[in-house]
Amino acid sequence: MNNELKVALVTGGGTGIGAACCRELAKAGYAVGIHYNSSSGPAEAVQAELENSFTIQADLSTREGADEICTALKERGNLEVLVNNAGMTMDAPLFSAKIDDFDKVVNTNMRGTWYLTKRLGRLMMRNKTGRVINISSVVGSTGNPTQSVYGMTKAAIDNFTRTAAMEFAPYNILVNSVAPGFIETKMTDVLSEDVQQHILGQIPLNRMGTPEEVASFVRFLATEGTYCTGTVFHVNGGMYGG
Amino acid sequence: MERSEILNKVKEILEPYVKNEEAFGNINEDTSILDDLQVNSARLVDIILAFEDEFDIEVDDEAADQVGTIGDAIELIHGQIN
Ligand SMILES: NC(=O)c1ccc[n+]([C@@H]2O[C@H](COP(=O)([O-])OP(=O)(O)OC[C@H]3O[C@@H](n4cnc5c(N)ncnc54)[C@H](OP(=O)(O)O)[C@@H]3O)[C@@H](O)[C@H]2O)c1
Repeated sequence: MNNELKVALVTGGGTGIGAACCRELAKAGYAVGIHYNSSSGPAEAVQAELENSFTIQADLSTREGADEICTALKERGNLEVLVNNAGMTMDAPLFSAKIDDFDKVVNTNMRGTWYLTKRLGRLMMRNKTGRVINISSVVGSTGNPTQSVYGMTKAAIDNFTRTAAMEFAPYNILVNSVAPGFIETKMTDVLSEDVQQHILGQIPLNRMGTPEEVASFVRFLATEGTYCTGTVFHVNGGMYGG
Repeated sequence: MERSEILNKVKEILEPYVKNEEAFGNINEDTSILDDLQVNSARLVDIILAFEDEFDIEVDDEAADQVGTIGDAIELIHGQIN
């Protein structure tokens, strides 16, 4: 492994949008840190594909897990890009939603993103350069029945993006959100045919997006986009324009 | 390294961020970095990074949170380098 290379960490990098981000960032020349929680097989497969990549297993919904990621990255050094992609949803109508599920979703999506950015941002501050890309969701802007908690966390992530961008700007660290619409991954595979048809009806391009279409935008923000910070970029086939 | 020597280096690091010159003139171990010296809290991170560079130490987040006064800063640095 080449320890001189700049490192890009992608949380939830074993599957879906995260795996596509890992591939794009490896193409751009980064040593990619592929973080995963339960998807060890897929994460190892991505690692086998990408030269100079490495894996980190941790449950981001716990503080210990988040700390393990920070320690691994601190030891590795050279962190330049952080993609806060790991996320989950536990859909239920507000009426029947459970408070324990609330905690789990908030801790993973919101607290995990905040904590990693806080701790790993400091490594970037020291280097006076860095990019943080937070994967939020169109649902954070529009709302969506049964996704009250998920939508809240994603709206919170977009707000956090704005504040972190302001605080990090003096250190030449750019912070942006990428808010995907409906993308073909295991998160949307579970939707029923009816729901999928209903969603397609809301998308002017009349199809779901692919993980690669999100990842190419993430790569742009990681490697170019030098005058973009504090912004939410929508990648959603036209269903919401901001 | 003696505490007095650490104090002098800490003063050098803090000086550009200090808003209250009078408190800086009377600096002692009880002086609060934020309240007395009126350092902007957003700049604390720069000060901690400068401590790390100057003294070749590593200050983790918890330890950084404990630094309120000049005495706390000296204690932290002294503890790590000795
Ligand atoms: N698919 C969409 O339509 C869509 C739309 C908007 C936004 N997004 C967002 O895009 C991101 C990626 O989702 P995806 O669509 O690619 O679905 P996915 O394949 O289910 O990816 C979610 C990733 O998050 C990781 N993760 C979940 N809980 C975790 C935990 N407690 N600790 C550590 N990692 C955890 C998972 O890791 P393991 O599998 O290793 O456990 C997984 O790799 C998410 O933030 C999601 O909210 C997706």
